[in-house]
Amino acid sequence: MSAETLETTTGPPDHERRTSPDEESAPADRGARGWLARKSVSRETVAMLVVPPVLVALAFIGFLVWRQTAELDSVEANQLKWSTLSRLLVDHLQLTVVAAVIVVAVSLPLGIALTRGRVKRAAPLVVGIANAGQAAPSVGLIVLLFLWLGGGFWTAIIGLSLYGILPVLRNTITGIQAVDPTLVEAARGVGMTSTETLRKIELPLAVPVIMAGIRTSLVLIAGTASLACFIDAGGLGEVLQTGISLFRFSLMITGALLIALLALLIEWIGRLLELAYRPKGV
Amino acid sequence: MDDFIAERRRQIAFDMLQHANLVFQCVLVATIVAIALAVLINRFKVLEPVANAVSAVGLTLPSFALVGLLLPLSGLGTTTAFLCVVFYAVLPVLRNAVVGLAGVDQTLLESARGMGMGPVGVLLKVQIPLAWPVILAGVRTSMQMSMGIAAIAAYVLGPGLGSYIWTGLVQTGGANALNYAVVGTVGIVIVALVADLLLLALGRLTISKGVRVA
Repeated sequence: MSAETLETTTGPPDHERRTSPDEESAPADRGARGWLARKSVSRETVAMLVVPPVLVALAFIGFLVWRQTAELDSVEANQLKWSTLSRLLVDHLQLTVVAAVIVVAVSLPLGIALTRGRVKRAAPLVVGIANAGQAAPSVGLIVLLFLWLGGGFWTAIIGLSLYGILPVLRNTITGIQAVDPTLVEAARGVGMTSTETLRKIELPLAVPVIMAGIRTSLVLIAGTASLACFIDAGGLGEVLQTGISLFRFSLMITGALLIALLALLIEWIGRLLELAYRPKGV
Repeated sequence: MDDFIAERRRQIAFDMLQHANLVFQCVLVATIVAIALAVLINRFKVLEPVANAVSAVGLTLPSFALVGLLLPLSGLGTTTAFLCVVFYAVLPVLRNAVVGLAGVDQTLLESARGMGMGPVGVLLKVQIPLAWPVILAGVRTSMQMSMGIAAIAAYVLGPGLGSYIWTGLVQTGGANALNYAVVGTVGIVIVALVADLLLLALGRLTISKGVRVA
């Protein structure tokens, strides 16, 4: 799966795609139970599904132990109160989920539209613009939106959504374009309308690529959400920001660790979704 | 805006160069490290899943979090920015270098050895030139990513244009806030585009004619 991430984040030239490894070629892991076993899954994919959550859990337990035993001064204790941390965590999750939903709701239909009929010709242009937009640094985008619209949740959401659109949009377009044209022709030949062809042939076949894009997007959004604290939209970045401005190592490490663990967890959920939505036989 | 830029022309040009300089150095170091690692991985295939997992996890790690983790170790300033950017810059190059080296046809390696080339000769004259287009694609990704990460690293006083964005944020409400943020953001986009063009040109110059796609 991992080679997919790169492709989705970069828009690789053809020679990169040509040599990308066949991830499904490894034999299915017989040890995996239930629905995992029924989908042909490489051992590496299984490892990426099992190892990260275990590591995240271990790191989090380590943090809990430290948090309960460490001697904190009043500033640290105040920032590391459980109520504060859980509020910031909820902020962070809200930012991520809302932005991700908007991204999917916008870029999926847009991507599909850009593979239909006459609009098709605009696809390279739109992807080009989105690509160039991605070159803008995330901090810059967020700060500019802040200066323009003021702070708060929805400004952060606009920034995060704009930033997350590209991977889903590009993968939707490439996923549908990569469907074997003879299959589409065969579907039309047996009498399917173009909508039916899209719904029953093209989309199911493109789902793995689209889901990889959604996962990339989720990770980008969750990471960028750590900058939301700078524009009064909360999130776990606040702990880290406070830590840096007061130069308290305990706060810096806590903030950084929690942001990183959450990002890893979200990536893991992305992988699960990817597997769950993969149609049989693909 | 015009006045803002005119007054600070020298300073802005200097910071653009600083930004480009930081990213170039980091990407250069990262490319060397990544190719060396990829050669190792290509020799000991067991390492490949490990490398894949490490780069997947690494790319998931938000850069702001890594800045926070590095800060206690390397303090405010350029060192933290450098380490942070290098860390992320290694990952795309590593992944592409592994894929590129694995994609070199075994029969070619055998004929190279048959012609009497030593392992170093095979590596430098056959494997790396053949994998170079793929590696270079990774370097381009790396360069693009590093531009934005360097901007975030400016929060802990790293060099470059990122500081303009953070100044804009701090001066919110002030007369120059927007100017600072725009100059920082647009400046980075310009530096990124120029760097990308330079890498394309580098590709034209260094990709062997036999494997050139276009």
